[in-house]
Amino acid sequence: MQKCLSALSRRIAILHLIGAVIPQAAHSQWSTTHEQFYFPGKFNWAFRQNYPTADGLFNAFDYGHAILYERLLTKPNAEAGLLETDEFNFITRKLLVNPPKLPLEETAIAIDYVKIAPEATMMFEWAHLLHRQIYDVWADERLSVPAKDAKVLELIRYYKTRKDLAFSSLPKNMDLMEGQPYSLAFRKRYPKFNGLIWAYHWLQIGLYEPLIAGRNKDERQTGVIATVARFRQMIEQPPTWMPRVMPMTPAVAPLFAARYPEAAIIFDNLHSMHDVISDILANPSVGRDRKGAEISRAARLYRDSTSFLMSRDEWREMARMMGVENMGGPVRGFLAQFPAPTVERGAVMSHTGMPGMTGMQHGTATPPGTASAPPNMNTVAAPPAAAGPTPTIDHSLTSGVKELHARMMADPVIRARINADPTMRRLMERAMNAPRGAASSTRKTVPAKSSAPVRKAATAKKSASAPTTAKPKPKPQPDPHAGMDHGTTPMPKKK
Amino acid sequence: MSPGKVAANSAMLDRFSRFCAAAAVVIFAAAEPARAQTDYYNTDSGRPLTIEDAAPTERYAFELQVAPIRLERTRGGVYQWEVEPELAYGILPRTQIEIALPLSYRDDGGTSRTSGLAGISLSALHNLNTETTIPALAFSGNVLLPAGGLGPDEAVFSAKAIATRTFRWARFHLNGEYSFGGDDSIDSADDDGKAAGSETRRWLAGIAVDKTFPLRSFLIGAEIFARKTRSSENNPEWNAALGVRRQLSPAFNVDAGIGKQLSGGERSWFATLGLAHAFTLRSLLP
Repeated sequence: MQKCLSALSRRIAILHLIGAVIPQAAHSQWSTTHEQFYFPGKFNWAFRQNYPTADGLFNAFDYGHAILYERLLTKPNAEAGLLETDEFNFITRKLLVNPPKLPLEETAIAIDYVKIAPEATMMFEWAHLLHRQIYDVWADERLSVPAKDAKVLELIRYYKTRKDLAFSSLPKNMDLMEGQPYSLAFRKRYPKFNGLIWAYHWLQIGLYEPLIAGRNKDERQTGVIATVARFRQMIEQPPTWMPRVMPMTPAVAPLFAARYPEAAIIFDNLHSMHDVISDILANPSVGRDRKGAEISRAARLYRDSTSFLMSRDEWREMARMMGVENMGGPVRGFLAQFPAPTVERGAVMSHTGMPGMTGMQHGTATPPGTASAPPNMNTVAAPPAAAGPTPTIDHSLTSGVKELHARMMADPVIRARINADPTMRRLMERAMNAPRGAASSTRKTVPAKSSAPVRKAATAKKSASAPTTAKPKPKPQPDPHAGMDHGTTPMPKKK
Repeated sequence: MSPGKVAANSAMLDRFSRFCAAAAVVIFAAAEPARAQTDYYNTDSGRPLTIEDAAPTERYAFELQVAPIRLERTRGGVYQWEVEPELAYGILPRTQIEIALPLSYRDDGGTSRTSGLAGISLSALHNLNTETTIPALAFSGNVLLPAGGLGPDEAVFSAKAIATRTFRWARFHLNGEYSFGGDDSIDSADDDGKAAGSETRRWLAGIAVDKTFPLRSFLIGAEIFARKTRSSENNPEWNAALGVRRQLSPAFNVDAGIGKQLSGGERSWFATLGLAHAFTLRSLLP
């Protein structure tokens, strides 16, 4: 027996030696991340049981994320149509119609991607597990509301025990997502697929709202069905009604964000890192051999609680300023029509050195063939993306309109005429009372043909609003980042 | 073991096997996937293939092999049933421990029947790394303790090295195992049925390939391996097998396989069917 034990220890020692030598030889490739079981409880899988349709969509989302990364990594020179048409159509016309009934093994889909980013993959998996477990808690009708709150807090605590995988529960500012050398590559090249990913994220955070707001099971069921229906409506005419900026939890899921701010922040960081990885993979300036390292760096930054931070107030303010209408719209109390977006698709929220979004400087460029605003007016160059009437808003016009209104009303003749005309008076009042950022009287509704390409629609819109955006730039850039002027908004200090 | 005890054991095993087989058939035929984790992707030795992957049971998870049945038929119409309930636990990051109780029932075509516990198997598997450009590597150690009427007379130790490499079109696993200890005079089931159900091989080396269908949570695999048992003479035995694994729910997955010994004296074939249940205990979590 002793002889056997001795032989066994010798062999184990040899194996350990091999294990010790290999990492030195390939340190950067050596990963020791590991999986961990989900938090147990009677609530486990309650969402799946009570809301199977919504649950199935999340399985399909797993595929969407995985195949996106795999394609971006393994086919960097492929036509955009590979993702924008082939994969997009497969996902929206087949997979989301008939979603898998089981969560997917993403490592079997994103085979090469997982090899270069095992930690990031595990971070996503761990955070997605938290997502699903919170749904489970709120879908479990046996739990009282205080019990649900306690359970969610326990889930968050358990999530955070994996410091090597947990996203920071402090808000990360937009510079981490949009201010890096590789940033924006994905949304520029793949606007439709990017819209789909953001629509996923809209649903993932939005589904908490009907679960929390519903006073009983029936209301929750109705709310979830309506939210899922809204998501499907969102992807009907891609990318027209898809979110134009990353959906943020305080805007899309205000009840959830107010109730569980830590979880909401974690999910915003999660969704933000999804975008970052897409950018790293899509940006040809990051060589294949550096993509893994860049992803690891980004993952590290999203885990730490020291870099790229903003306060919770700034995080909420940023979500408010970005506007829920640009994120796919509200989850509850929505109308049949989508709210009018107020920014260009893929608008950039950072760049001026602010911790949060720093002024939402979107008016830096306008599409070709469009009139441009004077330098002091960062007007919206936002084109309606495609089908249907897609009104846009010129925020910076608000002050101009008000000034014009004041001057006109100072003229007794004009004042008398307006007062005599109830319609004109109502329109004027609406224009004056419109909150900043809300699409109301300052919108220019442009009917667009459903088949019209984005740029064509943009041109149509701009010509319709030409009087207010008088001065054309000599050389308009094709950069789509146009949008709101929030230069006068007080911004948080940079950390 | 007294004849009466053998008969009682046989009847019990017979009933148990029938129950397990019926349960598995029901699961295969009627179960609609309802919910899932993805345990089907993490293959275990014998479930259904002998060659396994380098992934351990995830941390804090228990995996209970509820009804792993194996039926083997050798030349001469000798049937051997094995049921090996086992429980694995992810005790540390990338590390699992496991205990198994192999029960065996052997029917020599009506002339003699033997059954009983074929030892107690204790094992540990440690995964060294997650697969990157470097294959996933793991090693495991196992001891088969002398327990039960069909167990070995002395403890049998084995050590195994495992590597897994994934390509876009398939995943490959390499296993190499060496056993030592025990009584070299024991021949598999030939000496009073001793060690009929236990792993008494001297060494084993093999390769398995599997293909995953992730949208169906389904995996199909094949393997070929050579082994030299204590009973075999100079030439190793070659074996081949096919198997499938499928996730039924977050907590359950099933597997099934068939295989054949391609060389050697027995030239047996086997079929296997298993059901695994994953769970954890709140008190063990941080």
